Amino acid sequence: MLAPKPMSRMLIVASRDQAEPIINELYRERLFHIEDYVEQGREGYDGFKIGTPLSGATEASQELVRVRAIENIFSVRGEDVDAKQKLSAPAIRQKIEQDLPGIEKEVEEMAAARSKLDTKAKEYEQKIAELAPFKEIPVDLALLRGYRHFSVLAGYVPRSVTITVPHEIEIVKGKERSFVLVVVAAQDRAQAERELQEAQFQTVTVPEEDGTATVRTAHYTEQIASLKKEIEAINAKLAKIKESHADLLVTCEEAFRAEIEKTEAPLRFATTSKVFVAEGWVPADRTAALSAALDKATGGRVFVSEQQVDTAHDTVPVEYNNPEFAKPAQLLMDVYSRPTYTEVDPTLVLAIMFPIFFGVIVGDVGYGLLMLVLCIVLWKFMKGDETRQFLKILRNASIMSIIFGVLFSEFLGFELPWNPIIYSRHLNIGVTEAGGHGAAIAELLIVSVWVGILYVTLGRVLGMVNHAKQDHGDHRIKAVLANLGWILVMWGILFGIWSMFPIPLMPDMTALPIVAVGLSVGIVLAIVCIVLGVIFIARDAVLEIIEIPTIISHVLSYTRLTAVGLSSVAIAMVINYMAIGMFINPGMKDLSIVGIVMIIVGVLIFLLGHAFNLALGMLDGGLHSIRLHYVEFFTKFYKGGGKKYNPFGMKRKFTED
Amino acid sequence: MADATMTLEMVQASQVGMKAIGAGLAVGLTGVGTGVAEMGIGAAAVGAIAENKDFFGLGLLFTVIPETIVIFGLVIALLLLF
Repeated sequence: MLAPKPMSRMLIVASRDQAEPIINELYRERLFHIEDYVEQGREGYDGFKIGTPLSGATEASQELVRVRAIENIFSVRGEDVDAKQKLSAPAIRQKIEQDLPGIEKEVEEMAAARSKLDTKAKEYEQKIAELAPFKEIPVDLALLRGYRHFSVLAGYVPRSVTITVPHEIEIVKGKERSFVLVVVAAQDRAQAERELQEAQFQTVTVPEEDGTATVRTAHYTEQIASLKKEIEAINAKLAKIKESHADLLVTCEEAFRAEIEKTEAPLRFATTSKVFVAEGWVPADRTAALSAALDKATGGRVFVSEQQVDTAHDTVPVEYNNPEFAKPAQLLMDVYSRPTYTEVDPTLVLAIMFPIFFGVIVGDVGYGLLMLVLCIVLWKFMKGDETRQFLKILRNASIMSIIFGVLFSEFLGFELPWNPIIYSRHLNIGVTEAGGHGAAIAELLIVSVWVGILYVTLGRVLGMVNHAKQDHGDHRIKAVLANLGWILVMWGILFGIWSMFPIPLMPDMTALPIVAVGLSVGIVLAIVCIVLGVIFIARDAVLEIIEIPTIISHVLSYTRLTAVGLSSVAIAMVINYMAIGMFINPGMKDLSIVGIVMIIVGVLIFLLGHAFNLALGMLDGGLHSIRLHYVEFFTKFYKGGGKKYNPFGMKRKFTED
Repeated sequence: MADATMTLEMVQASQVGMKAIGAGLAVGLTGVGTGVAEMGIGAAAVGAIAENKDFFGLGLLFTVIPETIVIFGLVIALLLLF
């Protein structure tokens, strides 16, 4: 908790003939994060080279390409298929040898036939396009060609055209250009063409068809329809094959992928002609188990040693170490940046506080329930780990919204049958009679400022912890004190404000006794804190002093918890007032046609308005809650940029050993 | 401005109106300010995300930093109105 999982550095040395059992065992255990060996003359690695793949790598790659080709035809993806049963390695091998070639042949034939039909359909469409200009000309197209003494010229002209030689002309006027069909005597052709050129004539070839354009178009349209039907039939057949064999395909893909990863693993090891060395990381609590397993797999012919972890120079891969309920928040952490190995991991704070912030902002039973329903519906349709984690975050957030909705006594902007248990957020919108209790805005704002004060203080305390853990020597003390300085300045400002103005819900220090030159104890305390704080900050970095106003803006930034929430309440109440007060109630009084129309309009406003406000609430609630962590909280202590712990092996879905 | 014919009710009503105008200005002008500030950041962030998806979190963070301005406006408006 609050720190990544402890890791150990592990060194595995064995002779090359043991490579296969060791790789298989590592792959099965899925614990070993391989540190890739790079040939750059590292100390103690003279004469080592990058290894060569095990036998079978090329074949597996070729097979994988074939399987993926079929999957592409079907558009099947492993994530979309639910695993029914896990197949063992021999069963998969048997299936690959028996079933796969048959399926492949069948599918390829069908895909080829389908693309042939597609091409044909395209060809016909092209022909229809060629026929289109002649549609208005009710002449058999066969009559427009094959003359010895006449020439037929067809094409488009942008405007009218005059031809001086004896001719016959047919003009079909279009919007921007006209289609002309000109028949001239063969010896006048050159002259006619010249005149047409001057009128910016664009030639259209007369299609090689028999019959009028309309008839031929109809014929081709029919042909295309029947081709489409054939394509449909093939698609249906493919869908059938997909249904019965999708499992097998994704299983094969997984098996081949595993095979490739295993056979190519030596590319990441340092090898000589006789031995290989694999370096990597293992969670500290699993090192003993892994080395025992390797021992067993090789019959003792392996040397495994645990090495000193040097956090200053090694980039240790980072695996989160959180309780189950906090796991979804890791997604939000990864969006920002994974913590480094030596850093405080704030996932737990995020996991607890993000839903609470979201709940405070939305704070409405109705919206919370709608979001929960949305979440459940999406859960049915969406698969994939990350999406599921995201939905879990949404679920937690909507549950907190319901809880705060009960506390605020809100349901789609209406009041629930009880008075708000905490401060009221009910604004006086559309309230005509006097005596509504109204919203306790000042109190809500002050509470959110308190949240800000505590958050910023916590952030700086974590900053002190981080610097104490990571830095060395002189800088360590300075950095820790600088963080303390920030806390002192902030609290100094607070003491000063409290000594001058009494603020509800905050300590009142105005009545403290005066000590010297008209300054009360509070003011003196404030001055001491601020001066000391500024000195501490300046000792670490003088330029940081210009950042001091951010203390105020960051703390006040937390007032968005109230402000954004109130704006969402206001929108909800306005929608209710418009829908019910302005349309439905007057409509109810007078149930004529106008009245009924008014009721319908009112209901529409109600539904659309609340849908809009729900979307806005989710966006606002999510974005502002996360930003209060990212910007105002993380910037105080968090660096991130850790490397993801990515153990060698695969999360198997369809296969097993 | 208050001329002799103005009654107390009229003065009170115009005060309420002035408050509403003030609240509107607070939200509107800070909204414009936030928009102008986020314009450049947002464009640059989208460009960076297009190059490298890992930048999304940081890009979002930078983009929403000026959001604080409009929140201050909203807080002032709420304090004025209610």
